[in-house]
Amino acid sequence: MLNFDWLSGISTETAKLIFFGLYFVIGALVLILPNDYVYEGIAKEDRHWWNNLKLWSLAVLAVLASVYYQF
Amino acid sequence: MLSGIDYFIVIAYIVGMLLLGLYFKKFVSSSEDYFLGGKSLPFWAIGMSIVVSDIGALDFVGVSGQAYRYGIAVGNFDWVGSVPAMLLAAFIFIPYFWRGGMYTIPEYLGRRYNKSVRTIASATWILFFALDLGVLFWASAVLLNVLMGWPIWISILSTAGVVGLYTYFGGITAVIMTDVVQMIIMFIGGFALVFLSLDAVGGWENMVEKIGTMGPEYQSHFDIIRPIDTKSPFPWTGILFGLTFVMANAYMIGNQSIVQRCLTAKNEWHAKASMIFGSALKMFIPILVLFPGLMAVVVHPDLADGDQALPMMIKTILPPGLVGLMFAAFFAGLMSSVDSLLNSTATLFTKDIYEPFIKKNADDRHYLKVGQITTLVLLGLGVATAPISSDFPGIYVAIQTFMSYFQGPLFAILLLGIFWKRSTQWGGLSALVIGIGFAIFLNVFKAGFFTIEDPFLYISWWSFLLAFIVNVVVSLLTKKHTKAELDGLVFSSKIVTKNKTL
Repeated sequence: MLNFDWLSGISTETAKLIFFGLYFVIGALVLILPNDYVYEGIAKEDRHWWNNLKLWSLAVLAVLASVYYQF
Repeated sequence: MLSGIDYFIVIAYIVGMLLLGLYFKKFVSSSEDYFLGGKSLPFWAIGMSIVVSDIGALDFVGVSGQAYRYGIAVGNFDWVGSVPAMLLAAFIFIPYFWRGGMYTIPEYLGRRYNKSVRTIASATWILFFALDLGVLFWASAVLLNVLMGWPIWISILSTAGVVGLYTYFGGITAVIMTDVVQMIIMFIGGFALVFLSLDAVGGWENMVEKIGTMGPEYQSHFDIIRPIDTKSPFPWTGILFGLTFVMANAYMIGNQSIVQRCLTAKNEWHAKASMIFGSALKMFIPILVLFPGLMAVVVHPDLADGDQALPMMIKTILPPGLVGLMFAAFFAGLMSSVDSLLNSTATLFTKDIYEPFIKKNADDRHYLKVGQITTLVLLGLGVATAPISSDFPGIYVAIQTFMSYFQGPLFAILLLGIFWKRSTQWGGLSALVIGIGFAIFLNVFKAGFFTIEDPFLYISWWSFLLAFIVNVVVSLLTKKHTKAELDGLVFSSKIVTKNKTL
């Protein structure tokens, strides 16, 4: 049991989909964060799309997913 | 051996780091300046510092060696092993620590659980960090001895002198700002090696084709997901459960030397952004440390020891000048690891041991002095214990492995501490002690329990799970904390709404 033999029926292709699913869930959770929380610390007049941390996070997740798609 | 231009680059790098670090002395006048940089640093500097502190020269050699043996699956550690954890840290944990004005992770555990949990966590980190220092000093000395021809003791003392001086005077600001330069040097040196190596193997496609025809043991070299029955240490179940769910989170959320950097941010946005920016930079690390190991399979297919892959590639691929730069990059990795350990250990000792147990309520200048003296003592300890490493060649791996056994239980109590208000001080304490004990038990008897080569990922997961269960059961059996005791310490949807009260 400690070696996860009970998951041996899952192929590596399915395992890869599990990782993609994880990135999707994280991305969705990031998206539902309120903008005020994401921008906390920046004055209202200085809030722009390029300092929206949701976009930064989604960009990193997209690169990560593409690496796993490639390999 | 190095040529004249290489010597010049290395010496200029060492002197430059010393001068840059000492420049930040003028910004230190309180313990907050020394340990938290006066909470004034920008996200980009902190993000770069997180990345360079995380990857040391020994990792450069070790990861390249593993890539030579096992292929691209090693990249999981910097890809899926960093990004999800850094996003969780950025949006949930770091805002709590930053708003709470905390200096250390054990300080949070002490407020959330009790003083014993704080002391056990802090003492464990101090012990491991102190042991690591001697090993890193020895590794630096061996590098200087081999490449510059300096005697071992001169090499140890010169590393300790340079890093010690700027860390002693400049505190964490000097550590972070020197890390910025060190990261830039590491990236330039690393990418130079990757591009020239790629040229030497005839391009990426050619390398993939050649490795694919080298025999059955190389057939999975470009598979990032490995099956459960792999004999390598990286089955996908270990990567998902042990690395992604436990070790990566414990490292990015529970490691003092990482989190302390985010606490130096000038405001909450910079604290969050530093982690996300760091996660973007981390995506490049496998390219720097893993790809040379893969290319060495083509250039040097018969190496007896995979750890020779990177040194051999440097020796055969890089021209004079770039060898010096690559050596400076190695040295940068070592220096950033040493300065992080010095400052973080001094912070842990001063805030978690000295202030609560030895002298409470002293004036701020006193704690600043204690932090600086602790840095000096650690420096002396590291220099004195460095030669021991030569008698125990596997000591670095042993220290890292034992540290990994602490991570699962630590993350379990951090997770329940912040997300479950019913978690009690006795639940946290018993989970930490029983979880660490279980991890050690699994390690001692690993041959009887596990089928893969080095089951540290599985051990992390199972010790995390047991600590989690123990925390839940014991908490339900013991007296719950009052609302006032939990104020500002447990996750509340209020922090993500307009009500900023924690």
